[in-house]
Formats: sequence, structure tokens, C-alpha cells
Amino acid sequence: MSDLKLRVKEMIIERLKLEGMTPDQIEDGAPLFGDGLGLDSIDALELVLGIEQVFGVKIEDEAAGLQAFKSVQALTEFIAEHAKA
Amino acid sequence: MTDIPAHLPHRYPFLLVDRVLEREPGVRVVAEKLVTFGEPYLQGHFEGRPMVPGVLLLEMLAQAGGFLEAEPLHGAAIFLAGVQDARFKAPALPGDRLRLEVRADGAFAGLMKIRGIVSCEGRDLCTAALLVKRL
Repeated sequence: MSDLKLRVKEMIIERLKLEGMTPDQIEDGAPLFGDGLGLDSIDALELVLGIEQVFGVKIEDEAAGLQAFKSVQALTEFIAEHAKA
Repeated sequence: MTDIPAHLPHRYPFLLVDRVLEREPGVRVVAEKLVTFGEPYLQGHFEGRPMVPGVLLLEMLAQAGGFLEAEPLHGAAIFLAGVQDARFKAPALPGDRLRLEVRADGAFAGLMKIRGIVSCEGRDLCTAALLVKRL
């Protein structure tokens, strides 16, 4: 697992208080919302705040969120891409 | 700013902000609520030992948070969506001048998170984060 992906998973677990869950239990390709981790809109806001705090990356609107929250893999790529700028 | 009812749709007995001292829409609000023996809920909470219910301290923060919005809330569909990390450290009593300080933490997809502190004479009575949903 890439270092950034591991940090993303750790941030998700910590920010959403997914107690008892470990990073390797979160599948890279599983959707964060709906069928995957089953997160809701409040979780989405928590993730937006966590991503900004931990990685300094802003998710400006719902369109960006739709792309970033497809999966952990997509979120990791989104952060890697926008953290460079 | 003193015209509270022009901004908030809440009315007696549920209008729980008396004064707005500082206001920076979208960022931070400081307001006040003055507690008196005349509060209707203190009749029964509790008989002979009046103290403001903790949930009403949260409501005060939510109403103060309404002033983070630039426009009046009349007709706006804004609801409380969540309460996180609420702590009640000391009771609010008749005679207390409560300072309600709220700060916007962030927003995404119509949902806003605000952090609030109710304090009296420099002492924190209640701290909490509130989630507010705009439909």
C-alpha cells in the first residue's frame, strides 16, 4: 500500500471514528458512500474538513467531491494531484 | 445589531438570543442570552432548583449560528442535522448573562459545521459542534 493511501485510510478511520477498523480492511476500489463504507452526507463534510486539515487540499464543490469520493484509490489520486499545485 | 426577530424566525417561548455583539457572516458570531427566573422552562426544570436544560444551550448556539448567514432566515429551510462532542461543564442559572460564541468550521454540499461555546463570566458552560443542513 502506498504511503499516501495508508495515510488517507488512517485519516478516514480517525475522522469518522470507525472504531475497530484497520486500514487494510478498507478496499482501495470500494465506494466510500452507498454500498461501500456506507458513509452519509455528514461523513462527507467530515472528510472534506479532514482532507483540508491533514493534506491541505480543498474540495471546493460537489462536483469535485463526486470525483474524489468514488473510492479510496480515487481520493488518494485526487489528493496527490492537488497537493502538488 | 439588535433586531433579532428580523433575522431569526424563532419566537416566544423559543427565541433564545437577546443580543448580537459581534458578527462576521460565514466566519464568527458572538451573541448573548440573558437568563431570568421568568423563563417558562425553568418552572419545571427543576422545581426549586432552576437550571437551563443542556439541550437549550445547544439550541442557543444553533440560533446564534443563524447569524453566520448573511441573509435573514425567514422562509429559509435550515435544520439541525447533527450534534457532536457536546460537553456540559456547569449549569446556566437565572441571572446569568450567557455569551454564545460560534465559529464556522467548514461547509460542503449544503451542510455546515459550526463550533460553539456557551460561557458566563469567562467560564465555559457548554462546548459543542453542530451540523446545520440547508435544503
